[in-house]
Amino acid sequence: MSREVSAEDRATLAALADVLIPAGQGAPSASEAGAAGPWLDEVLRLRPDLGEPLAAILAAARGAEPAAAVAGLQAEQPAAFDALAAVVAGAYFLHPEVSRAIGYPGQQRRPIVPEEPPDFEQDGLLASVLARGPIYRPTPGREP
Amino acid sequence: MAAEKGFEPPPDVLIVGAGASGAVAAVRLAEAGFRVVCLEQGDWPDYSRARAGQPDFELTSGATWAWDPNVRNAPGDYPVEESESDITALMWNGVGGGTVVYAAHWQRSMPSDFRVRSLDGIADDWPFTYEDLEPFYVRVERDWGVSGLAGDTAFPPGEGPPMPPVPLSRLGRRVAEAHNRLGWHWWPGPNAIATRPYGRLSACVQWAACLWGCPEGAKASVDRTHWPVATERGVTLLTRCRVRRLLVGPDGLVEGAVYVDPDGAEHQQRAAVTILCANGIGTPRLLLLSADDRRPDGLANSSGLVGRRLMMHPFGTVVGLFEEDLGSWQGVWGQHLHSLEFYETDASRGFARGAKWGLQPTGGPLSATASFPWGPENPIWGPGFHERLRARLGRSAMWGIIAEDLPEEANRVTLDPLRSDRFGIPAARLRYRLSENSRRLVAFHQARARESLAAAGAYETVVAPFIRATGWHLLGTAVMGEDPERSVVDQWGRAHDVPNLFVYDGSVWPTSSGMNPTATIAAFALRAVEHLIEHRRDQRGAP
Repeated sequence: MSREVSAEDRATLAALADVLIPAGQGAPSASEAGAAGPWLDEVLRLRPDLGEPLAAILAAARGAEPAAAVAGLQAEQPAAFDALAAVVAGAYFLHPEVSRAIGYPGQQRRPIVPEEPPDFEQDGLLASVLARGPIYRPTPGREP
Repeated sequence: MAAEKGFEPPPDVLIVGAGASGAVAAVRLAEAGFRVVCLEQGDWPDYSRARAGQPDFELTSGATWAWDPNVRNAPGDYPVEESESDITALMWNGVGGGTVVYAAHWQRSMPSDFRVRSLDGIADDWPFTYEDLEPFYVRVERDWGVSGLAGDTAFPPGEGPPMPPVPLSRLGRRVAEAHNRLGWHWWPGPNAIATRPYGRLSACVQWAACLWGCPEGAKASVDRTHWPVATERGVTLLTRCRVRRLLVGPDGLVEGAVYVDPDGAEHQQRAAVTILCANGIGTPRLLLLSADDRRPDGLANSSGLVGRRLMMHPFGTVVGLFEEDLGSWQGVWGQHLHSLEFYETDASRGFARGAKWGLQPTGGPLSATASFPWGPENPIWGPGFHERLRARLGRSAMWGIIAEDLPEEANRVTLDPLRSDRFGIPAARLRYRLSENSRRLVAFHQARARESLAAAGAYETVVAPFIRATGWHLLGTAVMGEDPERSVVDQWGRAHDVPNLFVYDGSVWPTSSGMNPTATIAAFALRAVEHLIEHRRDQRGAP
């Protein structure tokens, strides 16, 4: 699929996308978040491999009832469904407001701060493991 | 006739493959004064494409760092025909090999792993023991930069890794406390992840991105820990150079390899000694590709076992959902802790052998919507989307279960009669079927792992659906042993049929253990190459 997605295809995708991700809990629906608009373009720029399967899905779903089209894909074409889900969710989560709404700041740099005592020693956490003693079968002839 | 290229006189040693075992061998050989050339079909990893911390991290990483060569289809890859395989092979063809994308779970094998026949009456013993390998484990753990804690009760006492373990994190602490209540083993996770600045490694900052190219330089992958050292010490590493076949002289000695450069031109690289480090599929593929009139079944294959006994570790995953925010999109990936509670054989369970469990994070929001590990029958989509998303995101933890599969000669790598790579070299073809023992083993461990997470407070547990794309560990296809009729190489990796040909990768494993294999692959390579160095005066070389 070229990066120029037609208005008709965007409308088809918007309807399918909102079946997958409706609005709720203070978060927008997929189409409200631009998952068939600018963030779709960003997904296809970042993941051009998704363009072809998406084009096939949209061609097949044109004019169909969206919920039935999604259910049909899920039941009969799991690989195509996964591609649709990747496009829709991929676009949705790119939107900064969505990240804020779901409380996901992205992966962050969190240096390991040495603790004293280290966490595995706190509250005697390892004591019962150590008290139980060895759990391995020794090499025959090398038994302690 | 292939052109001769450079390197006159020929080097002492040709290494095929720049992954874990090749890297270990190259560094030691260079230190001992050997002249070494390594041919690697792929390229250096491009860490500018490691995207942790960027908005597109989850969206792009799975494609950029795809683990399946058939999906990735990069210039360094070759096709693997796997329509007759229950598991598909995963690998990274480039400098660093699988360590570029491995989870860095650094597991020694246990003493019983080397004595499966003696202890369980099945499969085979290894030609050496845990005690023989132990000093080499200690040394490779220093060379790589491993973190963990000595004294694990699942192993004989001895020296531990050089750095303290990664944090347990909230999810690890919950599970540790649960195992204490259950009386089950756990131990802080051993990982090839630097928890302090260490040599060429930076300290981990817990991106939880280990599987998609560590952007921090904290995960010990041999493109970072070994190859810069090897090349500084004079090893010639030729990237994007694919070996087509090995050269065999009239005396039956291997004389090097024919390889194809990036432009498709053929060359010969001669060497006194050749070491294959091309993984459990690449190595038998090369031996089979090197068949000739005198060796119609392939090189070093008088036993008929080249390519047979393929083991790939069936993989189980169990996820738990918790009320508490565990922050579980961050951490190491990597393992916070491991459990070997059910590792040893217990005949009352109805199967032999066992599995290791590693406790892992579950990723960001896109991972929370994926059909693995959550399962297609456990949908997130539709009216409940936001509730389900919030239940999974940051509030879940995952056991990864490495299940031991036993060697079967019918599980094998052959050459594909139809498909070939871009240079016309036949593709590898897999035939691999899960055994009944493996199915029972995985089911048992999944059930126990659910109990573990439930005891840790999970209000719901999910057993991930079986997927084929879990063949991380490629083992057994050039088995080592003492009997030339029942094995391909000896305990030093030397081919019984060809005294100057060696295999150092996971192909040599007689049994697969239930562990992530890199620690043992590295320790084996170090032990084998030091034997080669020590006995250099007795080593026959190609003229």
